[in-house]
Amino acid sequence: MGVWAGGVGCGRFGPHRADPGSCEGRLVQLGRKCLRSGLDGRHSHAGAAAHWAGAGGVARPARGLGAGAAEAAPARGLGAGTRRGGARSFKARAGCMGRRRHLADAAGALPEAIAALSRSLPAGPSPEIFRRAKFDRPEAAPALWRLLFRVLSLLRADRASASRAPEAQARWVKAALRAQGYPRLGLARLPEDGSQGSRELLLALAWLLAREPLPERLLAQTRVRLGDEMPVCECGALASPGQPAPRVDTAGPVDVRRLQWLMGKLRFRWRNLMASQQEQCALLGKIHAYTRGCHGDRSLGHLSVAETELLRDPEGGRQLLQRLESENARLEAALEWRRRELVFWQWMDTVLGACPPEASQPTFPPRLRGRGRRAGAWGPVAWELQALQEELQAAVGARRAAWAARVGGQGPEWSAARQAAQEAVGRELAALRQAWARGGGRAQPHRPHRLVRTEAGGPGGPGLRAAEVIGVLRSREACLEEMLCQLQEQCRQQLARLAGALPGLIWIPPPRR
Amino acid sequence: MEFRKLKELPVQVVIKQKLDDRPIVRNNRLGCSRRLVAELQDALDTCAERQRQLEQSLRVSRRLLRAWEPAETPTPEPTPGPETNEEAPSPACTPSPQDLKELELLTQALQKAVHVRKGISKAGKRDNASSLKSGSIATSATTAAAPHWASQTKLPRGTRQATRPAKGLPKPRLLSAGDQTCAGRGPLAAKPGPGLRDPQKAPSAAPQAPEAFTLKEKGTLLQLPMAFRKAASQNSCLWAQLSSTQTSDSMDATTSSKTQFLQKMQVTSGWPSSRLSAAEVEAEVGRLQKACSLLRLRMEEELTRDPKDWMQEYRGLLTLEGLQAIVGQCLHRLRELQAEESGKEVPGCHPRRPHSTVLTEVVEQQLGPWPEERPPMASLPCGGGADPTWSPQLLLYSSKQELQTLAALRLRVDMLDQQIHLEKVLMAELLPLVSMQEPLGAPQLALCRAVHSLLCEGGQRFLTILRDEPAD
Repeated sequence: MGVWAGGVGCGRFGPHRADPGSCEGRLVQLGRKCLRSGLDGRHSHAGAAAHWAGAGGVARPARGLGAGAAEAAPARGLGAGTRRGGARSFKARAGCMGRRRHLADAAGALPEAIAALSRSLPAGPSPEIFRRAKFDRPEAAPALWRLLFRVLSLLRADRASASRAPEAQARWVKAALRAQGYPRLGLARLPEDGSQGSRELLLALAWLLAREPLPERLLAQTRVRLGDEMPVCECGALASPGQPAPRVDTAGPVDVRRLQWLMGKLRFRWRNLMASQQEQCALLGKIHAYTRGCHGDRSLGHLSVAETELLRDPEGGRQLLQRLESENARLEAALEWRRRELVFWQWMDTVLGACPPEASQPTFPPRLRGRGRRAGAWGPVAWELQALQEELQAAVGARRAAWAARVGGQGPEWSAARQAAQEAVGRELAALRQAWARGGGRAQPHRPHRLVRTEAGGPGGPGLRAAEVIGVLRSREACLEEMLCQLQEQCRQQLARLAGALPGLIWIPPPRR
Repeated sequence: MEFRKLKELPVQVVIKQKLDDRPIVRNNRLGCSRRLVAELQDALDTCAERQRQLEQSLRVSRRLLRAWEPAETPTPEPTPGPETNEEAPSPACTPSPQDLKELELLTQALQKAVHVRKGISKAGKRDNASSLKSGSIATSATTAAAPHWASQTKLPRGTRQATRPAKGLPKPRLLSAGDQTCAGRGPLAAKPGPGLRDPQKAPSAAPQAPEAFTLKEKGTLLQLPMAFRKAASQNSCLWAQLSSTQTSDSMDATTSSKTQFLQKMQVTSGWPSSRLSAAEVEAEVGRLQKACSLLRLRMEEELTRDPKDWMQEYRGLLTLEGLQAIVGQCLHRLRELQAEESGKEVPGCHPRRPHSTVLTEVVEQQLGPWPEERPPMASLPCGGGADPTWSPQLLLYSSKQELQTLAALRLRVDMLDQQIHLEKVLMAELLPLVSMQEPLGAPQLALCRAVHSLLCEGGQRFLTILRDEPAD
């Protein structure tokens, strides 16, 4: 611990700067003294603590001094509070002791912070791995590859990648990080067999952690859901706006009748879904009604399917309880991590400092291959925007002409009114822009809500009312139907134009519903 | 008839194939429909997945509403708690594993028999008699077996002990598991619970029909086990704490050190920082898409509005002009993004250092697998509550009809979303196809007919094409 503090004090840690030689030397001396005096350290913690030394040079001798140095630390009242008793006498030894004590406190917190972090992440490695990664030790690399893979695949909700060979996992991790915009080239250069590069991987992990609250996000994704939930947000659960993965099964040209068949199949599945959904709602309603008054939480009032199921099936209930408890443990770890993470970031600065600087590639076009795949992604958006532009042009043209005809002689108050109108419209449009500029402006009803059955006339507690949501959904439905009709009308017109060009044929449209 | 006749006519359609994969049409075939089929298949898969999930929850719910089977794992434990345990003497001699297995099979068979009989007979008395009869046969077996069911291999004693207060039969749970007394649940104790564990009590306690536990009748008497309740409340408490630390964001030192770290990473890295990552580009394209639909909505609104006075007319005009300007900007941004992407693909247009060429290849090789990954960014925003905040809020409903309406509307909105997306894809793929054909051949007509139905009628109705032959 003391050696860590010394290394830290030597200019790599936080705001305190001590002259490099003296602190280290003094601490090493102290350590040796303790060793000579036959103090027995607590080897495990002592070893680990001493190993967190910032300077690489200090690390090796620290190994041998592990016991002694660590004993010196608690003897000086640094580190864990439990070991505070003891050797105030050591306090007088070094001049920069007070400062070092603060640093060593922080230093002691580092392994704990990292331990909290690993507990809150799935597949988190031990703090020892992190320490080794700082010195770019090869044995730390596989664990960090696995962790990155696990974290990234959870983040991207990519279920298919669960079972891959380590090399494939490493490649995937590189691709995923690059897609997110990871800035360092060093990662791309790493060999995929997991034989080296732990420091680079540590930096990648820290990069991910710095960008967003990673443990919380992962926990939210794998959250144990106790209630019957219904999503309320407007994100289309079924529409797939992204580019679908190109399939290789349809090798040749496709018959249009196949398309018709697929559409019919889709319609059939819709009908099935609707019927199943209705049945499920009926059953849910019954279960909620029958278990009135059973829940401890008064605001809920009745049990959900998951809770009733756990009563019916003890084995399943046991598993649910286990999952809940492990989630609780991870939540506690995440809270602890939040409290302690400052030391981690300070330490990461030192790790970054320990890296050799990368050669910059100023004119390096690091684009992904397979750009052709994404060419399709531009298509719809560009096409729609262009269509919109054309329509607007036509509309504006017409209106301008009409307006120009009207604006004959308007008085001086006209210009003031015009100004006001311009400002008002400007504000409106700016507000409109906000709607898509922010990532999801309407964040309120974004989470899935737990269904709770209440009495019809009751005041009800906090929560969304189904009637409101139904209203919103109806308006959205009307809007979408309108849009669909418009699109179909467009097609009809275009096809009619084509039909008009064909002489000698009569086109009889199907009866409109 | 017509269709078939048309189909038989031979047609030679030759279209020059261009490099940017223009569609080829031969007979009814569409050369460039891989994307269409892929999209449709995607839609089908999403539906199938949702159906699967629904059916799973349906299974669970149906099972809950039926009569509950007695659980395989036995509760009776030698504690002074639930009454069923009184009968189970702990210190019986331990039969051999084989005996245990046989006993287990026997009791299961007897349980089945009881169920069958219960199912057949309506009145409780006959159930009672039969169960008593079968119970008496098995009494000796069950009394011996009851405490020793616990020693089945699938249930280690440790967990059993630990979770016994938490889990168990519905009946003991009715007796508020965890409580050491049966206070307040006395009258219930008189009624034997489901299954064969109780027949030995049946003579002693009030001999009522061992009814199976149904949610309908006794649902309100359930109570969640203590351990679970504690864990659940702790869970919500922790989530609340976590979200409050998130939103409070009072740790400025931490935030600033994080941003500093990110900046340092960028500065010390090899990539130039002005580039947008793939994820960011996707996000931007998604935003532009959203912008497009919002702008269109606004335009529709404006166009359908009827101005009553010149002021409103003026405002309408200004709005439309403003919208036009914004659309122009969006298009410009899109073209910028496109250019940025494709511009980088052109090799050799930048002066490169020798080793960087190798690095490019290395990097591009490493990133080979990227094309197979579907970018989930577009679909992730609402990925199952990715919002790392507190536990879900409540959605209150008051009747089954309301819930059904709600769910049906949600499904309909999702369906419409999907339909609109498919419609756009179809339009993009099929319209060019149809419009560039020489239209007189018969297969083209069949194709037109099919395309019309797909695009304009959702594939449900077809138009009719008649040849206008002069009757001569």
